[in-house]
Amino acid sequence: MTDDRARPPHRGLVRRFKVPTRLVHWSLSVFFILLLLTGLTNFVPELKTIHIGGARLFAWAHVALGFAMVAVAAVALLALNRSRSLRDDMDALTRNGPDDTRWLRHQLARLIRRGGSEPPVAKFNAGQKLNALLSAAATAGLLGTGVILGINYITKRVFSTVFVADVFPLHTWLALAFIPVLLGHLYLALINPSTREALRGMTSGSVRRDWARRHHPGWTPGED
Amino acid sequence: MHQNPPSPATPGGASRFGLPGLSRGRFLALLGAGALTGAGAVRVFGGGSSWRYNTVENPVPAFVPASYRLVIDGLVERPFTLTYDELRAIPAVRQVSDFHCVEGWGVDDVQWDGVRLQTIIERARPSRDAKFVTFHSMQGVYRDSLSLHQSGLPDVLIAYDMDGQPLEQDHGAPLRLVMPRMFGYKGAKWLTRIEFSDVQERGFWEERGWGVDAWITA
Repeated sequence: MTDDRARPPHRGLVRRFKVPTRLVHWSLSVFFILLLLTGLTNFVPELKTIHIGGARLFAWAHVALGFAMVAVAAVALLALNRSRSLRDDMDALTRNGPDDTRWLRHQLARLIRRGGSEPPVAKFNAGQKLNALLSAAATAGLLGTGVILGINYITKRVFSTVFVADVFPLHTWLALAFIPVLLGHLYLALINPSTREALRGMTSGSVRRDWARRHHPGWTPGED
Repeated sequence: MHQNPPSPATPGGASRFGLPGLSRGRFLALLGAGALTGAGAVRVFGGGSSWRYNTVENPVPAFVPASYRLVIDGLVERPFTLTYDELRAIPAVRQVSDFHCVEGWGVDDVQWDGVRLQTIIERARPSRDAKFVTFHSMQGVYRDSLSLHQSGLPDVLIAYDMDGQPLEQDHGAPLRLVMPRMFGYKGAKWLTRIEFSDVQERGFWEERGWGVDAWITA
């Protein structure tokens, strides 16, 4: 990849994500971050015992946020049928081909030696697709196991204690295993100079035309 | 999502939810292998058996062997006090039982060494009015209680060793109550006083929403 600054400045913007996609991304991610933070208090005895009016603050916040996120995820799935742009993004994210393999191999090779040309990338590169797949899998797994834990945290009796004790570590390990993926995502979106322009696509909805041309040459903005 | 199941390969050579060049069968096999690996990792890393710990006494009470005392008092004919050495001199029992926290996690097959609570009860001789037993932690913040009947169940111990080692500070050194049939918050750690009474004292968490009886449903 060449240095962005070497190119002549080109401030033209192109539309990357419409409102539905951004709304789904941010509504799910806000819950995800809050759930991760409240969940991690389970490892911090000084924090986990903080209680307000007879209820443990972080434990109950975690359970309540979790059920709220299930509702948000359900609405997001329903929105797939309503929003053309969201559906197109989802299609583009979950479709992959030989170019994706080539792209991943190219990135691996870049770690070892410089050079080589990047295979053509359309709206999403293989890394973004991989991130989407892992995020969706982790979210589904965490919500599924979390519902079981949450129901018993409230009722103490719907599922057996032994079953819940088996589900608990699955939930924990799934969350811990996802942290590196999340950190990678945040690094590329917020810090890494050549990729952080993508963040603007998820906030304002538009990215620089020259950035899009360089990083997503196979994508024609406007046709999504 | 809303569409028909994808064909293994669309004209452009692209497939969905699969890797290029992989048949769907192989892809599913990979997925299964991944799931098995994940489940295996959970077992290897002790997923099914890993302690968290809880304390409302911060910093966690420190155990000083020379000054430690276990006080048994309240509605009993013979109140008494034990030093740590005297405690360890009482005939001990070893018990392997599962531990379950109300948060949902559990630890299978914990080995406890300690004294049956029934032994303490017999030695103290509760008076007629004594119906409940309260367990006090060292700093006076945490306490919990059982009925006299529950306290006398054979698998209720006051334990000083866990898995063959003296209790660690975070796990309640030098002494904790073990009541395997109820959730862990019933088992006071850093145990320093066992008090017999005629009314049930509500425990720390029971004043904050949890049930007084925390029976575990199998």
